[in-house]
Amino acid sequence: MGRKIKVLVADDEKDFIQLMTVWLESKGYSVQSVPDGQSAVKAVKEDPPDILFLDVNMPGMDGNKAIKKIRAFNKTIPIIIISACLDIFDIKTSARYNLSGVFYKGEDFDKGLELLQAALKSHKNLKNID
Amino acid sequence: MSSIAIFYVFAVLISIVIAFVLAYFAGLTGGTKVDIDTARGEIARQPEYDSTVLEQDISAVVSEAVGSDERSKEIVKAVSGIVSGELKKKIEEQARSLGKKFEQVIEEKERSEERAWNKFKTVLREKKETEAVIRSIAEGLVVVNSKGSVIMMNPAAEKLLGTSSKQKSGKSIMSNLKSEQLVSMIKGSSGDEERTIEFASQSDDTKKILRASSAVIEDENGQTVGMVSMLSDITKQKELDRFKASFLSNISHELRTPLVAVDKAVSLIVDRTLGSVPEQQAELLTIAKRNLKRLTTLINDLLDLSKLEARKMALVYKTVSPAHLISESADNLEIWAKTKYIKIDKSLQDGLPDIEIDPDKITQVLTNLIGNSIKFTPQNGIITVSCVLGGKKSEIVISVEDTGIGISENDLPKLFDKFCQVGERTSNDIGGTGIGLSIAKEIVKLHGGEIWAESEKGKGARFIFTLPLKKPEA
Repeated sequence: MGRKIKVLVADDEKDFIQLMTVWLESKGYSVQSVPDGQSAVKAVKEDPPDILFLDVNMPGMDGNKAIKKIRAFNKTIPIIIISACLDIFDIKTSARYNLSGVFYKGEDFDKGLELLQAALKSHKNLKNID
Repeated sequence: MSSIAIFYVFAVLISIVIAFVLAYFAGLTGGTKVDIDTARGEIARQPEYDSTVLEQDISAVVSEAVGSDERSKEIVKAVSGIVSGELKKKIEEQARSLGKKFEQVIEEKERSEERAWNKFKTVLREKKETEAVIRSIAEGLVVVNSKGSVIMMNPAAEKLLGTSSKQKSGKSIMSNLKSEQLVSMIKGSSGDEERTIEFASQSDDTKKILRASSAVIEDENGQTVGMVSMLSDITKQKELDRFKASFLSNISHELRTPLVAVDKAVSLIVDRTLGSVPEQQAELLTIAKRNLKRLTTLINDLLDLSKLEARKMALVYKTVSPAHLISESADNLEIWAKTKYIKIDKSLQDGLPDIEIDPDKITQVLTNLIGNSIKFTPQNGIITVSCVLGGKKSEIVISVEDTGIGISENDLPKLFDKFCQVGERTSNDIGGTGIGLSIAKEIVKLHGGEIWAESEKGKGARFIFTLPLKKPEA
């Protein structure tokens, strides 16, 4: 067992963040959370996590703007979009910014876990981590 | 001898006289068809019968035949006496009857004139009434002739089109109107139809949406003589429709957010993520979770429906294997089917080609159809999902067949209507919104396919839908 994988969750809904935290921690991840896009960019810059869960619809700086800002200085960190709406994201955007997938809030947590594991596996820097 | 001769001559004379009289009568009664006015004058100057003329005529004939002047004078006097008496009587009779006839004719003419006048007054009144009715109709009414010129336009139509009938009367409906849509309304209508026209009113900048129902006016010979159009302002209605669609989509989104949070929280407990849960509590939480799922499905259906109604559902086409798609959908429902000991059989034709579809949407259709079958099939039933190549190898035909309660013939046509739920509901029914099938129908239609159902009450149901192999060209 190596070090714990660090997950950053950016979402304006406190309840959802708490649920994500409980779930991710139960799966053995270390979780940090922020309430908006601006804080997410700052967090990635200062103390980059291994993977980022980013909500699209947030007040202030939304997910889309945050992705652009992050990709400006960090091209590799896996980003999984969190969305409440099933069709808010199209494939083109996701390809342009090298996104690792979309986790719909309505889906089971297991789907989110699949996405997370797939993203981690394909990421070269994390291949050797559990 | 001489007496016989006299008698003979006398008989000849009498017959001649009678011939004259007859000829005279003929002249008198001939040509009864007389103009009424001249006839009146005619009656006034009743032909004064002149006996002297007759006497002269007779005496000429008699004197020639008899020879003796004196005798002939006697005969003439006697004969003309008789004849003129008869003649006078006849003439008077004739005059009387003629007078009566003319009076009748005149009366008849006066009566018919009065009738015509009354009729005219009635028609005039009715016309005014009809015009008043047309004027007071809330919907706009425009009547054009076969050349497209306005014959009639009621105040409502003037208001809707922002013009006046004085401006328009006799002119082409298109003159002064920039709206091309309006032109299409008049020109493009080939028969009875309804169309929506969006047009900017001239007086203000607001956009109006009008619905025009037009009908061709034909004369008794079937010739087109014009067209009548009913215009109604449906701007408000359209606005409401839009509002409804956006409201539905917003509210569904807002409803989903808290639901997701509740669902996730319950799931984390039920899944023992945070440690063990007493059995009874877990059972109660399972009930909560099941009903949350139900509520989520309901909201998702509503959202789908609002998208379909707003024609905002876009398909994301991918090339997929139909067999794979069917197996996946069936497998996902396997657990539910097992709770009712229902077997899901798959009968897939070998070598099915890949198809271009939106896999998520078609999975939704399959899930709905198989789900319905599970719902309406009693324990130990069998559901068969089959897929074959059809329609000259240009499409695939997928069917979902069950051994359930079936659908009565009366219910079959309504099946795909919105909010339609048929059949008796059972106590352990998981329920539904009644829009699943209408969504399925819309999705299949968007793909360019068809969907229908075959069933007999008590003998199971069979739902069939087709999908073109290739994405239909837009």
